[in-house]
Amino acid sequence: MAIMRLGYVHARVTDLEASRSHYSDTLGMEVKAEGDGKLYLKGWDEYDHHSVVLEEGGVGAVKFGFKVSHAADLEQYERALQQFGVTVERMSKGDNLATGDGVRFISPTNHVFELYHEMEYAGTETGILNPQTFPRHLRGVGVPRLDHTLITGDDVEGMERLFTECFDWHISERVIASPEEPTCLASFLSAGHKAHDLAVLKGPDSKLHHFAFILDDWNAVLRAGDLFAMDDVPVDIGPTRHGITRGTTIYFFDPSGNRNEVFAGSYTSCHDFPTITWTADQLGRAVFYHARELNDRFLSVFT
Amino acid sequence: MATVAIHLLPDDVVLQGRPGEPILDTLRRSGYSHRFGCRRGGCGVCRIDLVEGTTHDNAVVADTVLTPADRAAGVRLSCRAVPDGDVTLRVREDDRLHCVSPILARYVARRSLT
Repeated sequence: MAIMRLGYVHARVTDLEASRSHYSDTLGMEVKAEGDGKLYLKGWDEYDHHSVVLEEGGVGAVKFGFKVSHAADLEQYERALQQFGVTVERMSKGDNLATGDGVRFISPTNHVFELYHEMEYAGTETGILNPQTFPRHLRGVGVPRLDHTLITGDDVEGMERLFTECFDWHISERVIASPEEPTCLASFLSAGHKAHDLAVLKGPDSKLHHFAFILDDWNAVLRAGDLFAMDDVPVDIGPTRHGITRGTTIYFFDPSGNRNEVFAGSYTSCHDFPTITWTADQLGRAVFYHARELNDRFLSVFT
Repeated sequence: MATVAIHLLPDDVVLQGRPGEPILDTLRRSGYSHRFGCRRGGCGVCRIDLVEGTTHDNAVVADTVLTPADRAAGVRLSCRAVPDGDVTLRVREDDRLHCVSPILARYVARRSLT
């Protein structure tokens, strides 16, 4: 029984055509389906039908989907969530395009999460029989896959409890106010072997900080930065490196102001690793390791 | 090229906007800045108050970011609002106009009304 990964992010955008250009031409995702005011996209190294859904009207996150490893997991997670005490409901096959039935719940931070086991198989251009290492004619950044998301809410500790108790996740890193005042300001939650699959920052409920795409390495991050310059993509910060997760990064905004990230590096995390703790007086270094100070947007701009 | 005068209160700074240029872009091109976030109309951080003149947005801004009541009260997002002609705007009390690059401010676009 396990949650394998963040399978999809469903976000609102103010202009679907401008978003198509950003996610498809600049980031290089493939549009797999469209209609009804929505675009469904996937990265080149994703086997499932889509990982990003863009819906015209508004900004911010609609919901997040996590894919579980076995069909029977859904029922067990449903029970665990009911026992935990959050609002849970069943979703049916077809509620989401190309996606099977599953369990929907509202988190303590008032975000909508969906657990599912089945999504239509799309495959990749390189295939699964003696494949080449990447498709030759990628567009733009050519993001391989969706990696993680950071959301904001007041009850960070509640999110830690839910994801560790209901899903057996571990906490790789967390930020506290100080050793004397251990209020949790941010938490980095891992489903398996990544430093984070979901992170939660103390802030307004229901908001999106960013969703991130993994890249191979630092060189790929720098190349993405060049492409953002060519395409006039507003950059929040970077290229730089995080103390937290040790990842290299650029944060940037989509044409509706939703923040995206390209991310590389980081480390392998395991369930038995102790949680790394950062204190607020070191937050500059924790967040932007090189500059060691925050900019005025990173912890205050959300959609 | 016809330009518009962007008069910024309370500092009494006048900048020359280019046709079709959002207010924030004029500021940045002219060596100035104020508080801004995503630069794409999604976060609502770059709120500024329109005192005189009219503007239009260069892209759709969500009603959740700028409500109809906000608009009616003269609130604009500097990253999306494009002046239709000469305008006067007031930088909010919890924000400030600041000169990021004196050399740009000197050579690109600054003149004081006083």
